[in-house]
Amino acid sequence: MQRISIDPITRLEGHGKIDIFLNEEGEVANAYFQIPELRGFEVFCVGRPAEDMPNLTDRICGVCPEAHHMAASKALDALWHVDPPPAGKKLRELMYSIFFATDHTTHFYALGAPDFIVGPDAPVAERNILGVIAKVGMDVAGKVLKMRHDGHYLIQMMAARRVQPNWGLPGGVSRGINEEQRKEIEKLGRDAVEFALFSLQAFRDIVLGNKAYVDLILGDIYTHKTYSMGMVDANNKTNFYDGMVRVVDPDGKEFVKYAPKDYLSVLAEHVEPRRYLKFPYLKKVGWKGFVDGKDSGVYKATPLSRLNAADGLATPKAQESYEEFYKTLGGKPVHATLATHWARLVELLYAAERWVELATDPEITSPNFRTLPTETPTEGVGIVEAPRGTLTHHYKTDSRGILTEVNLIVGTTNNYAPIAMSCKRAAEKLIHKGKVTEGLLNMVEMGFRAYDPCFGCATHSLPGQMPMEVRLRGPKGEVLEVLTKNLE
Amino acid sequence: MATRSLVLGLGNAILGDDAVGLRVARAIADRWGDTEGLTIAEEERGGFALLEQLAGFERALLVDAIKTGAPAGTLHRLGVDSLPTQRTATAHGINLRMALEVGRRSGLALPADDAIAILGIEAGDVLTFAESLSPEVENAIPRAVEAAGRWLRNEEEG
Repeated sequence: MQRISIDPITRLEGHGKIDIFLNEEGEVANAYFQIPELRGFEVFCVGRPAEDMPNLTDRICGVCPEAHHMAASKALDALWHVDPPPAGKKLRELMYSIFFATDHTTHFYALGAPDFIVGPDAPVAERNILGVIAKVGMDVAGKVLKMRHDGHYLIQMMAARRVQPNWGLPGGVSRGINEEQRKEIEKLGRDAVEFALFSLQAFRDIVLGNKAYVDLILGDIYTHKTYSMGMVDANNKTNFYDGMVRVVDPDGKEFVKYAPKDYLSVLAEHVEPRRYLKFPYLKKVGWKGFVDGKDSGVYKATPLSRLNAADGLATPKAQESYEEFYKTLGGKPVHATLATHWARLVELLYAAERWVELATDPEITSPNFRTLPTETPTEGVGIVEAPRGTLTHHYKTDSRGILTEVNLIVGTTNNYAPIAMSCKRAAEKLIHKGKVTEGLLNMVEMGFRAYDPCFGCATHSLPGQMPMEVRLRGPKGEVLEVLTKNLE
Repeated sequence: MATRSLVLGLGNAILGDDAVGLRVARAIADRWGDTEGLTIAEEERGGFALLEQLAGFERALLVDAIKTGAPAGTLHRLGVDSLPTQRTATAHGINLRMALEVGRRSGLALPADDAIAILGIEAGDVLTFAESLSPEVENAIPRAVEAAGRWLRNEEEG
């Protein structure tokens, strides 16, 4: 069997690798990607007080620490059997909505937009955020930076620290907001709604107005008919902070809806040989390999899967966008992976609207933002939607609250199998009889980017725009052809 | 009036040798923290976060862990377009060069490229969670502080 290796070449520790295995006829047999994982987090945590977890786990990842902070805070609630008061929950969701809008902005403009706004056929040197600025207009740079600045400024205002917050406690948060702060949060939230609407309009004008782009989104190359996962509220509307995790089957029918504490009865992990990654799957369906369909336990946890798993969005303008999304793409569910970028913008609008809703809630300035825990800690699971997928934290402690076990399923991990499937699909399309067609690297990278994979939780540093090297090897291992990308 | 200068320590405080930039920044603060016009800060993220830290300064020294294959503890004096460190490399599509370009196009006041120095400290293990540095990297801290001092004195002499 031949093997093609795609190595993201980087000076950083922790680069990934994509291996494409060919059969004797030179056709693609399978594709895997491999990343070295950070080691020893559970060992690092065990023996420490559980209250440290919101501030420890937010250092796992350099990209979405707020998501870990929030999942950890919720796990502490469960661990101490304490329910935060309404103002505590609303403050947490407000901060989380601000974070979500900020994060989705960065990742759409830095990662998603280059493929569509600039165009998949544009020169590589232009397919980046600078190309997006050139196409959308100079002022978009200022808008993106303002969104980031506003988000981080408000998170610092609310949570004491700009990036890694020092805020979540079992039973609530460490401090609330006053009326003056509330007004500022509301004002910047209204700006965020305008920015989200601007972004959606740019997507409409530039992408949806171009049939070739729409055909690319809806093409079969990255279409995987998998199960879809996402957190929903009591009305089955998307919620990033709290609710039940709902999974719908490839036809869009509810398969399971589970409370955080029950996640182990729903999910299992498949381990591939050769030290490849662990692949979560739906236990009751079973692991059938890297295949889609109702009989395969592979699922996605992405902005797209969240829309598929929900019955709608709970804010008015985002609901309109949600309806437009499905109307344009031919109904629900949508399995075209590249539509994830559009779904991310719909979620950006929802996060911004929810930010304003919560900032104008009469209870948001209440000083009653924490319930003091009085029970003995035992075991707790906390789940939130991270921007890249469902994030699960599970802790066990002794009666003093000292950690004895820690288990995390991070957002991107949920999508390991679909990412591998997208890599394989791109390879199948562009490798025949052992020959690599030009464009393989672009296609693989586009598949990757749609998932907005954050290997930060695993490697801390895998670049989004990967320098890559493809080696096509003959049956005896000799290098037949080398393709490179983003190499300096 | 003194030039507005920034020393920015970069790293993850609980990821072994990856924390070295933070440790060096703290040692610089202990020694030169009262210097007029000098701000010493820490940052755990790369990408746009670097831009947000650099805004408003005339010159800057970034201190970060780097992996090049050199012996652990080796110091590398780098510029904006030279070898990437752990946090000047691309993070979700934005490396230091890209962040600076976006910032300048949006009108942010940023140091010129040649006023941004990067001190990379060769790291050993940056994949295992730990609150301590390896001995080789720990031993590099005094040399890194001296290197930062030379950078600071250039300002004073200039």
